[in-house]
Amino acid sequence: MSRKKKILFALFIVFVAIQFIQPAHNKSVQVLPTDFIVLYKPPQQVQQVLQNACYDCHSNNTNYPWYANIQPIAWLMASHIKSGKEKLNMSEFGNLSSRKQISKLKEIFNQIKDDEMPITSYKMMHQKARLSAAEKNVLLNWLQSKADSLSENY
Amino acid sequence: MKKIFLGLTAFTAIALTACGSNNTSTTNNQNANAETTAVKQVADTTPANTATANVSVKNIIDAYLQLKNAFTKDNSSDAAAAGKTLQAAFENFDVKTLSADKTKSFSDIADDAKEHAEHIGANGGNIKHQREHFVMLSKDMADLIKTFGNGGQTLYKDFCPMANEGKGAVWISEMKDIKNPYLGKAMPTCGSVKEEIKQ
Repeated sequence: MSRKKKILFALFIVFVAIQFIQPAHNKSVQVLPTDFIVLYKPPQQVQQVLQNACYDCHSNNTNYPWYANIQPIAWLMASHIKSGKEKLNMSEFGNLSSRKQISKLKEIFNQIKDDEMPITSYKMMHQKARLSAAEKNVLLNWLQSKADSLSENY
Repeated sequence: MKKIFLGLTAFTAIALTACGSNNTSTTNNQNANAETTAVKQVADTTPANTATANVSVKNIIDAYLQLKNAFTKDNSSDAAAAGKTLQAAFENFDVKTLSADKTKSFSDIADDAKEHAEHIGANGGNIKHQREHFVMLSKDMADLIKTFGNGGQTLYKDFCPMANEGKGAVWISEMKDIKNPYLGKAMPTCGSVKEEIKQ
């Protein structure tokens, strides 16, 4: 075997070996009463956008694509989801104080408006997360009015 | 065979780049909640010490004013530094000096404000994003001052109707003259004093 072939073979062995080390999936059967959608009951269209474009990294329930079982992709996904949930977990939104809920709503609004979210790498792999101008508008308007109405009562 | 490897390498590279755009700072809500409960129990048995509380509130206000002044000069890196100072001031605040119900309202405000300060600290170079958080932070500061006083100096609550994309926003200032932190040098005098918070 030539040197090049030996290296390729070694890489292949490593690749096969890491397939056996799989991180736990972010998959919860239960929809909590603190869930963003349960709590705020947004219109159907908004719900769909949230689930297609946000919930994969910002909730206790990820909709995994087929390649999610291939390493090292599974590790990268697990780390994305972990940091995503630390910033914002839609499944446990109701656990936040009213003040924080308002803050988070405004922050979500800003992030979407400024095209910071959903992140580019996620949009590359998820066609449904590439929001059309109309989808973006509906979502932003709803977020705005929700934040405003909560601020009035607070 | 070679093609498969090339493909895999490219795929991994894409995934790794995606990881790089992630923010590394973390907040642990559960920990914070646990701390609050623990602190509350202590506070119940300790008499309120307003003098010490005043000093700590002053630290928070001073850090906020430093941040506000960086924004009036459009200085994003100074704002980031002040954001970190403010975050530390919130973390170093001794809640034990407060009564039980004051501890509750302090934690409510501080939990939120701290996160805004953290974001401002982590986003040096992106003044637009920093100012978005400053809108919400300033609201928290106004509430904090309402409950915990002005820390011994006369303050002004200012309002600019053009800030926050035309939705308007407040800020707290130590001077009577308007120096707008949201619009900076572009429109330094936009806004007016809404309230004087006297000593």
